[in-house]
Amino acid sequence: MTAQETVQTPVQRAVRAVLTQRTVLLVVLILVVVVWMSLLSAGGFLTAPYNPDYMSAALVDAVPLAMLALAELIVILSGRGGIDLSVGAIVSLTGMVFGFAYGQWGWPMWLAVPLALVVGAALGGINGLLVARLRFPALIATLATYYAYKSIAIVINQQQPISTEPVQQLYAVTSSVELPLIGRNIPDVPLGVITFLLPAVVVVWLLLTRTTYGRRLFGIGTNDVAAQWSGIDVAATRMRAYVLAGMIAGLVAVYVTAQFASARPDAGTSGNGLALPAITIAVLGGVAITGGIGKVSGVVLAAVLITWLNAGILLYVPGNAGTQFQLFALGIILVFAALLNAITTRRYGGTR
Amino acid sequence: MTVVEERPPPARGRVLAPAVSGQELVLVGVIAVLWVLLAFTTPAFLTAGSIQPLLVEVAPVAVMGVGMTLVIISAGIDVSVGATMMVCGVITAKLLVDADVPLLLALVVAVAVGAVLGTLNGVLIAYGRVHAIIITFGTANLFLFLGLQIFGSQTVNGIPGTLAFFGRGAEGRFLGIPHSFLLTVAIAAVAWWYLRHSVGGRHLYAIGGNAVAARLAGVRVQRRVLLAYVITGALVGLAAVFTVAKGTSTLDQSIGTGRELAVIAATVIGGTSIVGGRGSVLGTVLGALLVQTVSSGVTQLNWPSQLSDLFVGIFVIVAVGADLIRQRPFNRRPLNRRRAR
Repeated sequence: MTAQETVQTPVQRAVRAVLTQRTVLLVVLILVVVVWMSLLSAGGFLTAPYNPDYMSAALVDAVPLAMLALAELIVILSGRGGIDLSVGAIVSLTGMVFGFAYGQWGWPMWLAVPLALVVGAALGGINGLLVARLRFPALIATLATYYAYKSIAIVINQQQPISTEPVQQLYAVTSSVELPLIGRNIPDVPLGVITFLLPAVVVVWLLLTRTTYGRRLFGIGTNDVAAQWSGIDVAATRMRAYVLAGMIAGLVAVYVTAQFASARPDAGTSGNGLALPAITIAVLGGVAITGGIGKVSGVVLAAVLITWLNAGILLYVPGNAGTQFQLFALGIILVFAALLNAITTRRYGGTR
Repeated sequence: MTVVEERPPPARGRVLAPAVSGQELVLVGVIAVLWVLLAFTTPAFLTAGSIQPLLVEVAPVAVMGVGMTLVIISAGIDVSVGATMMVCGVITAKLLVDADVPLLLALVVAVAVGAVLGTLNGVLIAYGRVHAIIITFGTANLFLFLGLQIFGSQTVNGIPGTLAFFGRGAEGRFLGIPHSFLLTVAIAAVAWWYLRHSVGGRHLYAIGGNAVAARLAGVRVQRRVLLAYVITGALVGLAAVFTVAKGTSTLDQSIGTGRELAVIAATVIGGTSIVGGRGSVLGTVLGALLVQTVSSGVTQLNWPSQLSDLFVGIFVIVAVGADLIRQRPFNRRPLNRRRAR
C-alpha cells in the first residue's frame, strides 16, 4: 500500500482524493458552482448579482434541510436498512403542538421549545420502538408513522394553521445579523443559521466522533452481530438513534414555524415533503444507505452545495421554471454521485 | 459393476406455498368485516353508486402495486412511480387535447413512456449496481422536472372524453364493473401466474432471497431486475391513463404526488416482504382495496378525510407486525424444512 502511494504523482493523488473522499468532491463541486455562478453574474446573465451577501442570505433555506439531513445521517448510520421517512410528518405534528403551546396556551419560549423537543423525541421513540425493539423494517415502520403523524397533524386543529400574534413575531429568526468580532469583514448571516443549524451541527458532530455512543452507533451500523457479541446493547443504541432524529425534527418544527410565521399542519408534508429531500442530501453527503459510513461534514457540505446551486439557478432561470431546474440539478447530482460511489468501490475499495 | 440409479428422494410436502396465503385470507376477512360495518352505519355504502367509484379509485394503485410487488420481491424498491405517473399523465393529456389521438394510441404512448422511464431506472440499478432507493430518489427528481416542463407551469385544460372507457361514467363499465378494475384484475392474474409458475417469476424470488446465490445458480440477475423495473414503469403508464380518465377535464400538476408511498403501503399491507424474496400480487390488490375501502368509508362517515391516512399507517403496522410474528417460527426452522414461497 505504501509502496503504491509513493509512486503516485500529485495529480494521481488529487484524482484519487476527489473520487474516493466525498468531502473533497463536494468542496470541488461547491467551488465549481460558486465560480461558475460568479462568472455568469459578472457577465450579466443573472437577474441579480450572485455575491457573498446573496449566498449568505440563501443559507436561510438550508437550515431545515441540513438539520433533517443530520437526523437522517444518524438514523441511516444505525444500519439494518435504517431510514426515517417520517421526519417531515414529525415536523408537521410537533409544529402544531408547539403552535398550541406557544401561540394559544401562552406558554413561555423556554417551556415551549423543550416541549417541542420532547414531542419530537416521543414520536421518534415510537419509530425506534418499532424498528429497534420489534424489528420492523425501518422503511415500512417510518412509512406507517409518516401516514399516522401526517394525518394527526392535519386533523388536530381541523386543518387550520395557528398564526396568532406570538407565533408571527417569531419570524425575526429569518433576519440576517452581523456576527460579533468578525462581522465587519463577512456578510450578515441569517439568525437561524447561528441559533439552530450551527448548534445542531456541533452537537451531532461531537456525538458521533467524540462519545462512546457515537462509536457504538458506527459499530451497530457496520455489523449488527459483531456489535452484539462485543457487548453493545444493539436495540437500545438503535432506538436512541431514532429518538435523536425525532428530537432534531422537533427543533426543525420550531424553526419552520418561525420561518412561516405560522404553525402549518402540512409544514413538513406538503408536496414532496421534507423527508425525501433530507434523505437525498444525506446520500449526496456520502452516507452509505447500508449503514455505518457517513460524516457530518459531508452532509453539511452537500446541503451547502445544493443551497447555493439552487440559489444560483433561481437567478439564472427566474420563477417557476427555476424551481423545476432545481429538481433536475438535484436528480442529476444524486444519480452521478451514487454511480461514482459504485465505481470507486470497485476501483479503489470504497468512498470515505 | 452394476450401475445403481440414484433417484432423488421423493419431495416431502409441496414446494409452492398455498395459492392463497394466511395474510390474504385475513385481508379478505378484514375487508369483508369493514364492508359489513360500513353497510350498517351508512346505508348508501353497499350500493352500486358507492362501490363502483371505489373500484375506479382502486385500479391505479392496484395496477402500479402489481409492478411494485415484482420490484420488492426482487429486494428492490421504486420511489419514482409518482413522478413517472406525472410524466405519463401529462403526455397523455396533452396528446388528447392537442393531437386528438384515439384511445388505443393514447394508451400505447402512456405505457411506452412509462416503460422507457422504467428502463432508465432498471439499467441504473441493475448495471450501475447502486441501491434502488437512491437511484429512484434521483430519477424521481428528474422525472418531476420532465413532467413539470411538459406541463409548462399551467394545467392542461379541456381534456376530451376519449378515455371515458376507463372513466367513472356508465360507458366505463362492463356488467356494472369498471373497465379499469377489470383490466387490473386481468393483469394481476397474469402476474400471479408469472410469479408462481414461470421460471422468470421464480427467479425474482430467488434474487430477492439471495442475489449472489441466485447468480451462482445461473440466474441472469441483471436482466430479471431490469425487467421488473420496466414492467413497473409500463404499469405506471397504464395507471396514469386510469387517473386521467377518472379525473375532470382539467389535469393539474398534483397528479402522482405521494402515489409512491400509497403503492408501497398497499404492497406491504398485502404481505410482500420489503427485504425481498416473499410476496404475492393477490395480496397487493387486496391491500389496495383495503386502503381504498378505509378512505371511502371515512368520507361516507363524514369524518375528516385526512383521518384515513392514520388508518393506513395502523394497517401497515398491523400487517407487517402479523407477518413478523408468523415469520418467527419460520426463521427458527432448519433450512431444509423452510418452504419456498
